[in-house]
Amino acid sequence: MLFPSDFLTRLEYLSIISKRVFRGQLLAQRRTMQMGSGIEFSDHREYTTGDDLRYLDWNVYARHGDLLLKRFQEEQDLHVYLMIDCSRSMAFGNPPKFDLARHLVAALAYIALADLDRIAIIAYANGVIAELPVTRGKARILPIMKFLEELPASGEDTNLEKAVQGLLHRGVRTGLAVVVSDLFDEHGFQRGLDQLRYRRFDAHVIQLHDPTEANPALLGDAELVDIETESVRKVTVTERNLKMYKQLFSDHQTAVRDYCHTYALGCTQSPSVIRFDDLIMRMMRASGAGR
Amino acid sequence: MSFALPIALTLAALALPIIALYILKVRLRRVPVSTNLFWKQIYEEKPPRSIWQHFRHLLSLLLQLLLLLFIVLAIADPYFSWQLLQARRLVIVIDNSASMRATDVKPTRLDAAKNGALELIDGLRFRDEVAIVLAGSTPEVVVGMTGHAPTLRDAINGIEFSDNPTSLTTAIELGRRLIGEHPHGQVLVMTDGCVEAVGLTDSDKQALPTDPTTAVADVAEKSASKETPPEQPVENMNEPSPVEYRLFATEAPNIGITQLQVRRSLIDPLGYEILASVKNASTSPVACRLELTLNDIPVDVISLKLKPEELWSRSIEKTTLDGGPLKAVLTQIVAGTVDEIAAAAAENTKVSGSTTSSELDLLSTDNSAWALLPARKTQKVLVVSPGNLFLQKVFEANPLVEVTVRKDFPEQWPLDSIIVLHGPLPATLPSGNVFAIDSIGSCDQWDQGEVLENPIVTDQDKASPLMNHIRLDNVLIPQARQLQFKTPPHSLAKTLSGEIVFAEVKRPNGKCLALSVSLDSSDLAFRTAFPIMVANSLGWFSGTTGELQASVPTGVVTTLAVTTKAANVSLQSPLQKISSVAVSKPSDIESDSSLVTVGPLNEIGLWKLTATGPTTAKKVEGPEIDSLAEVAVNLASERETDLRPLKELLDSPESKTIMAGWFGKPLWFYLIILACVLTSVEWFLYQRRFIS
Repeated sequence: MLFPSDFLTRLEYLSIISKRVFRGQLLAQRRTMQMGSGIEFSDHREYTTGDDLRYLDWNVYARHGDLLLKRFQEEQDLHVYLMIDCSRSMAFGNPPKFDLARHLVAALAYIALADLDRIAIIAYANGVIAELPVTRGKARILPIMKFLEELPASGEDTNLEKAVQGLLHRGVRTGLAVVVSDLFDEHGFQRGLDQLRYRRFDAHVIQLHDPTEANPALLGDAELVDIETESVRKVTVTERNLKMYKQLFSDHQTAVRDYCHTYALGCTQSPSVIRFDDLIMRMMRASGAGR
Repeated sequence: MSFALPIALTLAALALPIIALYILKVRLRRVPVSTNLFWKQIYEEKPPRSIWQHFRHLLSLLLQLLLLLFIVLAIADPYFSWQLLQARRLVIVIDNSASMRATDVKPTRLDAAKNGALELIDGLRFRDEVAIVLAGSTPEVVVGMTGHAPTLRDAINGIEFSDNPTSLTTAIELGRRLIGEHPHGQVLVMTDGCVEAVGLTDSDKQALPTDPTTAVADVAEKSASKETPPEQPVENMNEPSPVEYRLFATEAPNIGITQLQVRRSLIDPLGYEILASVKNASTSPVACRLELTLNDIPVDVISLKLKPEELWSRSIEKTTLDGGPLKAVLTQIVAGTVDEIAAAAAENTKVSGSTTSSELDLLSTDNSAWALLPARKTQKVLVVSPGNLFLQKVFEANPLVEVTVRKDFPEQWPLDSIIVLHGPLPATLPSGNVFAIDSIGSCDQWDQGEVLENPIVTDQDKASPLMNHIRLDNVLIPQARQLQFKTPPHSLAKTLSGEIVFAEVKRPNGKCLALSVSLDSSDLAFRTAFPIMVANSLGWFSGTTGELQASVPTGVVTTLAVTTKAANVSLQSPLQKISSVAVSKPSDIESDSSLVTVGPLNEIGLWKLTATGPTTAKKVEGPEIDSLAEVAVNLASERETDLRPLKELLDSPESKTIMAGWFGKPLWFYLIILACVLTSVEWFLYQRRFIS
């Protein structure tokens, strides 16, 4: 059983913790970067013809003679898009990365719903393969868990870019996009994340990996079977090859981290042998420390 | 090049499956990975395991094929034709004499010699044959001609120490007989050179170099000549095989007992004489103590101060009624000049710069020696005589005799006494031991004849123990009685006219001696011959001469007379090993005595003959068994005590004609070494994957 009986209890506990300690710092109650008709002042911009004169800052005009338009941060419900990688590579490991990914998605969904946010779950591999439409209310957690439980890790390829494009083509509102994946994307994980950035999504990357992926116990002649593409590669693994592999894996992890750091995206990297609630707590702490 | 086992070359066909397995796809283990993303980058330069990539491990394949080739060749046992033609017949003579126990060559000379022989075995070439001969007191072929190295090694490892003297000459001769007329025969002698002479033939002596510096060149030249084709001159075929010596000795000093004998005195019935010799076989003066014990009771302690090369020898007189093992031990051996030792002894200090016993005395075997002193037993003698003081006193003077004198015949003759009849004779001689001296009348054994006037003894049986140390030809005998024996006696003394005056009478019911010389009128009673004659007679009556049980040197075969009815007689060595011996019963000795031939006695100490015990050789357990007879065995060899090798052997260079060591191995050995090296390289490549 993917979700044990105490799973909801642990979710509730996480929800309470997130409200008391990290209130407004994780998901809900975050202000969107959407400018609009809110009441909280954000900044000024120059007036251009056609702007609503109601928002002209008359005080500034009176003092300095500059026509500046007041901008307000629009307060609206946060849309949280939880994108879960359903490719076969996520089924690798013991326990499979996919289990942790689904636990994480369920937990994040619960926390968001508890904060009155709207969530949507997009399962993707080589494009969007399943979707839970935008929903709200804590009561929706059970359908969400059922959706996740029935979700197979059966995608033959990982293509985050196509998945993001599929999401964007649905005309969704911008919001927080959480990508839970191993990011073993031959097409390049950057292009998918770039799409999210361009559309002003507040993106957060959770990258999972199995310890044996980081440090494979493999030496000698072997047939390497890619469980995602089922392609076979007959190789002779030497210590030098193994060293190169570890270096490449490390470079990949570093590239993800550097990308997120460069574009101010949230980034969480973790082996899949960790408990989901520990990882959530770690994310909360990291988020709090970052502010 | 030829092969001893050419059929083994068919094993080279194993190369085909190796190549086939190498080229053909071998099912690899399938390892699922989450992505090939990184592996692609690693192997992106070359397509992984393409058809030509099979040869990527060409070096590995080549190594494996070479490995197979070497193993197959090794099994086929290659050899060169010259090896076949020059196959040698070697006889390794190993000296295991007592001096090989010396520890100047570590661990011992014999162990070093055995190691040297094992090195030779390791260097055997194909079809070489080797025999092992032991040069003990009697040469012994340990193993005959064979080329089987494990058998030879086992035989060499099984050689044990002995206390025997060396007999190199006979061992070498035996070795030459084993070689026969083989053109490449050779006798290799592993010895310490402690021999009187090596018994070299003229050709051997010519082979021995006088100058070691030129000798090395000679030997090298000889070695080089052995590489030439094997045609030998026909005239050399009948020459004896050459002998090479390998010495395992140094100029080691030693001091040892070279002789120990003990015998009963001929004059004093209680006395005995010890003959002891000690040899200082070193170039420095030595002081030591010779401790003598009889039945573990100290008899004498003699301080010896021996000059270099001195042989000390002395006869020591002692008295005792008891007999038993007499043991001599050398102790407290120190070096120093005689004056230094004397001064140090006076000051009760140690001689400055003196060396220890272990440095002066490198052989312990000759530090102990044994001898057997016969015990004296009292004898009862009944003298029936009308009265002769000399006759009475000659028995009374012997402390081993309990004399009873009577003038008339007793009613019953005692069975446990020697009966001396002087004067009248009974009609029938009593049974048992009877000595009739100057008797009057006839009896059942002889009749008395006429009186012999002034008989002169001209014929004595010198071989008889009864006549030992006696000369009757110069004894003045005015009168004797003619005895006419009813059965032919054994004459001990005859007159010029052929009349027997002293005889051993053969009769079924006891021993009997008859002396017809008149004691009253002759001067026999005044001569020393008379008590000696009486002592000889008493010894003869008692069954043993009782004077000497000679100690024998190690390695001899000796015969012991025992009185036993047991069918199985065992011989117990000083190291408590028991072996059964055969008993023979010759017709010329007494019915209750048997002869036992024992030997070779190759351990020093006391050997015992026992009537009981197991028939197979094993250690004695339980209480000690009463012995039927004993024999003392000593090294008793000045040459074995002198540990310094023979000069001419010491100067000879070390043999180089045998290709021992790494360069004397058969070809298969080097092939196996190469195969091992290749295996290591292949293993290294497999581990490190340098071939990848």
